[in-house]
Amino acid sequence: MKTTREQLLATLACGVVLAAAPWLLSDFLLALALSCLMYAALALSWAMFCGPTNYLSLATSAFFGLGAYVTAWSLGTLPYGAAVLAGGLAGSAFAALIGAGVLHLRGAYFAVITFGLGELALHSITYTEKTYFHTAGRIIGDPPENAVIYWTVLALALAAAATAILVRSSRLGTALRGIGSDEERAQTLGVATRRVKVLAFSASAFFPGALGAAMAVRWTYIEPLSVFNPFIGFQTVLIAMLGGAQTLLGPIVSAVFFTLVSEFLRLRFPYVFLILLGLLLIVLILYLPGGLASLLQRRFWRAGAR
Amino acid sequence: MGFWLELAASGLITGGIYAVVAIGLNLQYGLMRIMNISHGEFLMLGAYLTWLAHTTFGVNPFALMPLVALALFALGLVVYRLCFQRIARTAPAVEVIEARSLLVGFGLMFLVQNAVYLAWGADLRGYSYLVEPVEIAGARFQANRLAVFGFAVAASLALLALLRWTMLGKAVRAMMQSPAGAQLVGIDTRTLHPVVFGAGLALAGVAGGLLSMVYEISPSMGEPYTVTALIVITLGGLGSALGSLLGGFILGLVEAFGMHFTSPSLKMVLSYGVLVAVLLARPKGLFSR
Repeated sequence: MKTTREQLLATLACGVVLAAAPWLLSDFLLALALSCLMYAALALSWAMFCGPTNYLSLATSAFFGLGAYVTAWSLGTLPYGAAVLAGGLAGSAFAALIGAGVLHLRGAYFAVITFGLGELALHSITYTEKTYFHTAGRIIGDPPENAVIYWTVLALALAAAATAILVRSSRLGTALRGIGSDEERAQTLGVATRRVKVLAFSASAFFPGALGAAMAVRWTYIEPLSVFNPFIGFQTVLIAMLGGAQTLLGPIVSAVFFTLVSEFLRLRFPYVFLILLGLLLIVLILYLPGGLASLLQRRFWRAGAR
Repeated sequence: MGFWLELAASGLITGGIYAVVAIGLNLQYGLMRIMNISHGEFLMLGAYLTWLAHTTFGVNPFALMPLVALALFALGLVVYRLCFQRIARTAPAVEVIEARSLLVGFGLMFLVQNAVYLAWGADLRGYSYLVEPVEIAGARFQANRLAVFGFAVAASLALLALLRWTMLGKAVRAMMQSPAGAQLVGIDTRTLHPVVFGAGLALAGVAGGLLSMVYEISPSMGEPYTVTALIVITLGGLGSALGSLLGGFILGLVEAFGMHFTSPSLKMVLSYGVLVAVLLARPKGLFSR
């Protein structure tokens, strides 16, 4: 097992290499790299809280959409970097608010209510925009250069990876794993479970919020349905579970794999792509519930036992 | 007077459909902790089956309902065998069954919805059946809505009676109360699980068939009904069929009156608001003791 310091150095090295991409890649490949980074960061931040605690949050698209709308409302008055930061904080604040209310629910209840809250945010924003601003969507004028967007998303992805590494090795990570395996026992052992859960949930929501704010400028025209798209949340969960939500590398590898496959299939065969996606999801959950990473780990353990 | 009656009746009519969908979902969840998020997709399949048979062979849609129920029941047996049986038998804890079945449900949702897109395209489909107006106590209704309402309530009540007064119903209720206890007193859970799952999908199919007589149908019509059914079973309590019936009517009325006093575009906000409020205030359902 590598030490925390080695993992952080490896993350930094990856970041330095990836930062050169805007000078080396064509526009198309840069856009592809951007989606890979975005989904890697989303999956990492989702797995940060949901991996160790076994909670199933479907609120990612809500945080993402909220961040995107922060950009839509503030770009022009705020510089791009500040809008991204504000988007992240909006995600965290929303997560803290709903976390305080619903984190005592578990299992399917939690999944359903996080999904419901996301839809509630979507419909509330649609209604507010329609009634008070008389618009269905917003045009984002004067977007920053592609390279700037890329570097911002790269920085967010690196920050997500670094946070995930630090959380795993900290007391917070131990507390989260304790909650995941047996919440009452963790409580008896002196973990302030409620505070720990709200803190971690809200911290992990910073990234989808900030990513939404950073990616919003890519669309030039945004409307609630496109940025609150529940598919963003499902895809995040799927990527994280496919890679193995308990691991660090799993979500990253599966985000890259998944983005490449979906970019090439989705545009050409949209329905077939989603049918295959559904099949893949079913087969994986039935026969490989620990994710792809569990395959490697099993082999590793067997080799170690010999 | 006539206006308020119409408003209340329209709420109850929608509520009757909600009840059928929700009882189907509740059977699956209450019995096996299978959170079948693809429930609405099977409703959509039922609607397409009814539409297809009615427009091709000209059969009376109400006469088709038993056939649709049977087809969806058979499909339910297959889906249970292929997808959920393994989860129910291999998962180490109830929570794990819930989480995994939820994800498998999402997979089924993508699968079924897009298969229908491939087969029939994204267009709205429909037919008109029994559209002449009927007047009752100064309020005017379309005949098909009244017929659909009657059928939905009759089906729900028949199911409630089945659960209450037959041996089969008794076994199902015993399994809802205590799966292990039910096995101890000799209830064959291995046969009963797929049967109940199939019955849940059959109800979804019937609800879809009823909807196709009143509204236009499309491949994406199912999803909102899944969410509504989730809200209704949260209102009425997990595992309680009577609760689902009452919950369905309550939600139908809340939506009808809420939309009248605020605005139709707030419909989803109202339903989700009810869901969030109930989950926060009474996580075990409105009628729990």
